[in-house]
This record gives sequence, C-alpha cells and structure tokens, in this order.
Amino acid sequence: MRSSDTRTISARDPHIGQAHRRETARRHLAGRGRFVTDIALPRMLHAAFVRSPMARGRIVEIDTSDAAQSPGVVRVFTARDLNPLCQPWTGTLDHFASMVSAPQNLLAEDEVLWAGHPVAMILARTRAEAEDACELVMLDIEEGEACVDGHAALAEDAVRAAPGLDSNLCFQTVLETKAVDDAFACAAHVVEGDFVFGRHTAVTLEPRAVVADFDAASGQLTVHHGTQTPYQFQDIYARHFALPESRVRVIAPDVGGSFGMKLHLYNEEMATVAASLQLGRPVKFVADRLESFVSDIHARDHKVSARMALDAEGTILAMDVDDMTQIGAFSTYPRTSVAEGNQVVRLMGAPYKMPDYRGRLSVVFQNKVQTSQYRAVGHPIACAVTEALVDKAAVKLGLDPIEMRARNLVPDDAYPFVSATGYSFEKLSHEACLSKLRDLMDYDALRAEQAELRQKGVYRGIGIAPFVEITNPGAAFYGVGGARISAQDGAVVRLTPSGEVQCAISVTEQGQGTETVISQIVADQLGVSPEQVKVTTGDTDTTPSGGATWACRGAGIGGETALRAGRKLQGQILALAGQILQSDPADLALAEGHVVDANSGTRRMPLAEIGRIATYRPDTLPEGADNSLTAAQHFAPSGYPFDFTNGIQASLVEVDVETGIVRLLKHWVVEDCGRIINPLLVDEQIRGGVVQGLGPALFEECLYDETGQMTNASLADYLVPMACEMPDIVIGHVETPTNDTILGAKGVGEAGTAAAGAAALNAVNDAIGPLGAQIHQTPMTPLRVLKALGHV
Amino acid sequence: MELEGTQELNADPQTVWAALFDRDVLERAIPGCETLEQTGETEFAATVKLKVGPVSARFKGAVELSDIVPLVSCTLSGKGSGGLAGFARGAARVTIEDLGETTRLTYSADAAVGGKLASLGNRLIKSTAQKLAGEFFADFEAILAEQAEPAPVPVPAE
Repeated sequence: MRSSDTRTISARDPHIGQAHRRETARRHLAGRGRFVTDIALPRMLHAAFVRSPMARGRIVEIDTSDAAQSPGVVRVFTARDLNPLCQPWTGTLDHFASMVSAPQNLLAEDEVLWAGHPVAMILARTRAEAEDACELVMLDIEEGEACVDGHAALAEDAVRAAPGLDSNLCFQTVLETKAVDDAFACAAHVVEGDFVFGRHTAVTLEPRAVVADFDAASGQLTVHHGTQTPYQFQDIYARHFALPESRVRVIAPDVGGSFGMKLHLYNEEMATVAASLQLGRPVKFVADRLESFVSDIHARDHKVSARMALDAEGTILAMDVDDMTQIGAFSTYPRTSVAEGNQVVRLMGAPYKMPDYRGRLSVVFQNKVQTSQYRAVGHPIACAVTEALVDKAAVKLGLDPIEMRARNLVPDDAYPFVSATGYSFEKLSHEACLSKLRDLMDYDALRAEQAELRQKGVYRGIGIAPFVEITNPGAAFYGVGGARISAQDGAVVRLTPSGEVQCAISVTEQGQGTETVISQIVADQLGVSPEQVKVTTGDTDTTPSGGATWACRGAGIGGETALRAGRKLQGQILALAGQILQSDPADLALAEGHVVDANSGTRRMPLAEIGRIATYRPDTLPEGADNSLTAAQHFAPSGYPFDFTNGIQASLVEVDVETGIVRLLKHWVVEDCGRIINPLLVDEQIRGGVVQGLGPALFEECLYDETGQMTNASLADYLVPMACEMPDIVIGHVETPTNDTILGAKGVGEAGTAAAGAAALNAVNDAIGPLGAQIHQTPMTPLRVLKALGHV
Repeated sequence: MELEGTQELNADPQTVWAALFDRDVLERAIPGCETLEQTGETEFAATVKLKVGPVSARFKGAVELSDIVPLVSCTLSGKGSGGLAGFARGAARVTIEDLGETTRLTYSADAAVGGKLASLGNRLIKSTAQKLAGEFFADFEAILAEQAEPAPVPVPAE
C-alpha cells in the first residue's frame, strides 16, 4: 500500500465538502424511478394476505375452498402448506443476556398474536383478484384475551402474549454506578417525572415491496426487495430456505424511504419467497397502506420514570431511570426489539458530566404489531427524558436553561471522556455547539420577545436539547451477539477503458444521496469529477458484501471504504502511468481527468489514454507491468466502538391555551457530524430528521383500544407531519472529524430525529409552565395539552 | 364504542313490539340486509352488506334476542364476520315506552369491531353506525306506517 494512504483530506480533494445535488433526484422527479413496485416479470403472480382481525385468538378453522375457486386464483397457502419450507426465526441475540422470544414462521399456525397477523396467503394473476379471494376465506378464530398494556403484562397471572413464554418479560437489564444512591442521598435538589412516549410508524412513501423469482432450472433465487440491507436478506433467505448463498441474489433498486423499517424480517416477504420457491414462478407482494399500518414495525412505545439529583449549584450528580418498553408478541429478527430500549438506558444524560447513573430496562411482550429499530433508535426517548429533567431543575434553581446546560455539558477540552453509562467519546463539541446555537437563534432577543408577548396573553415557549448520537457502529452492535450482520463494507472501483470510473459499493441508497456522496469521495481520489463516477449499489451479485446503510454508517464507513478503494486504484493507475511515462509514481498525481506532475500540476497524459493502453494495447507496456485498473477494498471500523456525534437543537412554539393547539414557529439545529462531505445533503438529512422527530412529538401515534385493535390505521386518522405544520429549520455546523478514519466523517442521518421532539417538549412546557401546567406525554395532542392545563 | 339514541314512532307499543320480532320487518329495515333467516324463536341468521368508508364487506352472523320483558325491553345481541374487513359484535338494550299517541323507543348499544373496520378508526365507524341506526328507524317507521294503512291496490306488473 502506498504511503499516501494516510494522507488527510485537503485542498487536493476538491469535491469533498462541496454541495452536490442528489444524482437520483432528477430521475425521480421526472417519474423515471424504478422501484420494486414497478417491476413486472413474465408469469408473475400477486400475493395478498388474510390477516387476523383479532389481537389474540386460536384458529379453529380456515376454509379456503371458495377462495381457491375464485377467478384468477392460482394457489392458496396456509401455515400447513407453507411453513415447512422455512426454518423458523427467533429474534434474540447473545449479547442481550437471557433475552427470550418465541420462534416465528411464515403464517400463523395455531394462534394469532396481533390484529394483522397473516393467516393465509392467496396467489392470483392480479392483486385485485387475490384480494377478492381473501374475502372468501372463512376464518374461524376463537377470540382470546389479548395482552395489551405492558405493566399489566408483567403481572404474574397475566395472559402470555405468545405461546411458550414463561413470562411476558423479553429482556431486563440494569446499568449502575456504585455511588448512585449516595448521589441522591446527598443531593440538594431532586427532580423527577413520569413520561409516556406513544407508538408511531415509518409511513414510507413507498411501502414494503418484494418480487421473489425462483428459477427452478438454475436453482437461482432472485429477490427484488425494497430494503436498505440486501446482504442481510441474502444471508437470511439462503439460511432459512436452505439455498446456497451464491444462488441467492437480492436486488434493492430505487427504495422510497426506509428509516430502519425496511431492515427487519417480515412474514410477508418470507412467505413471498417461499411461494416462489414452491411454485417456480415470480411472486410479487406490495403492502397497501392499510396493511402497512398493521404489519410494518412500529417504533418507541415507552413508559419512563426518571429522576435526577443535583447539587445546590445545579450540577447534575446522577440520574435514576426506569424504562418499560412494549414490543409486540415477538422480538424482531435479526436485530431484536431490544436495541431501542438498550440505547434509551445508555444514552440518558449523555451530553453531561453526570458521574453516577442507574438505568433499568424492561422489554415487554404484548399483542400488538412488533416494535423495533426506527430512525434514531432510542435517542429521542433518552434525550426527551434527560432534557425535560434538566429544564425542571433549571426552573427549580431559577437558572436559565442555557446556563443550566453550560454548567453541565462535558467541556470541549475534556476528551476522551467516558459517560456514566459506559460510552467512550473520542471528541465532542457541546460547548461550541451551545455557543453557536445561542447566536444563531438570537436567544436573548427571543426571551425578551417571549416575556413581552406573555403580557398580551400569548404563550410562547423555547426549548433547548443537546444530544449525543451513535454513528458508525462496529461489530459491537450486532456481530458480537451472533447476528450475521456485517459491520464492514466493501467497494470495487475501476477505471473504464475510456477513462471514466465505476464504483460498486455495499452501502445502499434510499433517497438520502448515498451514491452522490460516494461519487464525490471516489472522484477526489482519482482526479475526476463526481459526474464521471458511476456508483452502483443494492445488488448482492454486482457489489461486494457489506453492512449497507443503517445506524448512520453510510457516509462514515461506506465513505471510508470508497476512499480507501479509490486510493488503492489511484496507486495502481499511478504505478502504470509511471511505467508508461518513465516517471517515479511518487512524482505523479491525478487531477482533472489527467495524470499530472505532482508538484507543478502539468498534465502528463489523460486517464482515457491509461484506460486505452491498459485495455487494448497491454502489449505495448513494459514486461511485467500490471495493467489492472480495478481495485477492491473492504473496511471495518476499528478504534472506538462507535463514532459519537453531538449537537444541540432548539424549538420555538406558541401554545393556544384555549384550544391546546401547539404551533411550531421555528427550529434550530447546530450539529457536529465530523467531516462534512456534502453540506447540501447533510442539511437535507438534518431537516428530514427534525421533521421525523417533530411528527411523533405532536401528531403521529398508533392508537390501540383495550382489545388490541389499532383504531387509526389509515392516513385518514394517523397524522403525519405536513409541510404546512413544519417550521423553518435553521442549521449551523461545527466540524470535529474523527481520527479513527482518513475521511473523518461521522453519521448524520439520525441527528435531527434524536433531539427535535425533546426540544419541542421543553418548548411546550416552557410555554405552559407559568400557568402551572406540565406535559410529559407525546404526541402532545391538543387534548393532552388541554388536560395538562386543567381545562378538560 | 357506545351508541345511544331514541326514536319516537307513530304506532302503539304493541305494534312496535311485534314489529321488532317480525322477520319480514327486520329484513326490510336493517340497512344492507340481504337475507335474514329465523333459526329459532328468538334467533336469526343474517347476511348484511355494509360499507364503512373505503371498506365494504358482507357480514355473516347471528342475531339473538334475550332478556325479554314483553312490551318493555329486550336485548338484541349479535356478532358477525366480515371476512377481510374484520368482525363486529355488539349488544343493544332496547326499551319502549308508551307516550299515548306515539311510542318512544330507546336504545343503548355497545359494539366492538376488529380488523380493518377497527383500524379505519372509531370516528368513521361511529358516524357510520349512527347513520345506519337512523336509516333503520326511518325504514322501520315507514313499514309501520304502511302496515297501519290499508294495503295499496297492487299495480299490475309490466
């Protein structure tokens, strides 16, 4: 490897750090996207599922005889026909000690465990015919008692949410420092609160979609799958259907949003693959919006009791937190439904110097849709609880919320720093971010305006929320627990005969601009423009294996992989150019599509000429010259287990105390994601993330009745945040690159979501606090605000 | 989901009471009722086609009359399966009261729905249920009025 491999990013990388529009945007706007939903293969069948209308029950009889005779129907499957094809899956991992979950299979066997649980699968020529036939399946289910509330589910005599469970406790853990009780005993002040965080769901523009195509002649299974993790599904399909991995190809074409929701295994996708294996025909399943609500994973669903100990000056001494999270009847596979709660209890108090901590986590089964990892896994809960308590303490001590944070944030010169929950921070910039935020929002002027308006009966509130975000996870995340989920990524970069560049990489694109970012990084290593770099993603046959895009690892780990692959190819090109030009490769560089003199920048030969000679006239090269113009490189993060990022958000709201309606007036974010590769896309990620944080803070909630029926499972009743409700979002940056990589980039995709809800919660409480009211539940619906105000 | 309502009917309590147990009257008055079979003295099997928002379904189910206090009150309970649309079950306590010229019918129902019907939201279901109850009583009253008048001369079929 050349010594230049450790060269840091500099002016010689003209495209890293520049705003470039997403490559896919123009195509998508022109209606030229190619999503799984668009795929139509010859002889393709369409699948629809008969689902349990009850949250819990025993299947007495399924009569599919009328459905099988329905026009267009080719096959009807029930568990008895289909489940034997598939090795059951169990959503547990070894590093979550003693966690339990019942095994799952394609279709419900004897018992239905949530309203929406698939019971029968119909395959017909069209989706409409399949749905019509679903109407004809006579399903006799003896309704049983459903386990709905998590606290009640923990009672010893509570009905179990799934067969075979000894209790409804999936997992429990306690993190504790030695002196936590002493800290509370000698605290000058203790503040506390009970918080409820509702369930919500992803509502991606494109729903879940899969086309499974098994060719019995070649034994090849090709699955077109709207997912963010094609390699993970290649592994799952191979293992659970006993196929050779090399005969399983997963292709994720354009994917219309994912947000973590599309990396979990679902009954429907597995059943679609099973049906194709059984019938030897392509089978398509696209979830409609109604079934998305009762089958896509839901997020959050936490009840948290927390208290915070402080000394007389307002220094945080400790937190004591109890989080109970409710996850449905099973833990999801292959990542579990425990990771969310695990991150909640580990991220509490993360921005602060807090020395002591106790966090208890209980993960509980119930008969609802499964919950699992969704954008900003655990962060919004930890941040909202921590920041609500910090604001309570500020009120109690008569301190301004900004001053309260200034006293407690980990100072910028205190790194490396280990948090009370055991996280190691390489280098964060809380103080710089706080100071920048204060200027950006003109904090003092806002406070003056707030006081003035209050005299006129206008209730505005300002909420502040610093945060720490987990990005670039290594194998500690899943791999150590036995999950076949890769923490490394791979890239193959090649120079084409005409001097252009192709990069096939394992990180994936769901609309966030991964491919654009990769093209910028590769372009700079090879002296070309990003437009000259064609990036291929999302196909297990044509790209190297890797972890793909989740947990904010696309730019940090994928980008580093691309950079190293690009530099490897750069070395090969310069070595070849050195032989052709009879120069020392160390004196050569690549710039503007040419091999140039490293010192003067004088052009020596075009890259196209290198490509031409290496491809068509290798005979003219000196004996022994290596004409390889393809480089493969894998990269696994090492050093810190995660590259933590940090930032701070602020929200300005106005609460109508007569109607309870909260209006979001403005939002600010100062974020430090390390090296910024593309400021335009970073800001897009932050804005989108903020909206996804504000949605569940004010609008989004999956509502259930006491029998376990979701009662607002359509877009008529489930409120997603719309442009007209969203405030302007002002963004500032601090850049602290990680030294773990050459690129220095950390993740940014979840930063906006991590703290937006916390800032809004604090803003609402700041607005209604003077009226003696407090709200501790999200979404903060008008009714809940009115209840907090004592009006209803 | 709880539903309550009252309806004043232009008939005496005996007529109203008898109509409540009359298969033919019920079949005509129940909105979307396709078939209603009497399976016992106080039991019926029904097929009803209903549309709730975007979900339309044919419910097959059983209806039973119980806790009968003649000319005063009874409980009407039923459950039905609507295939993909889900299920519905519920019970209504129906009370009648003699107001002299007219009869007041009061009902208080508790119903539960599951599957797509539930997921479409109680808001939509409740307004639909109220609409259906309204339709039922409008038809019920029209039939009573019809019965009170002499039978119209049949119009020859074309």
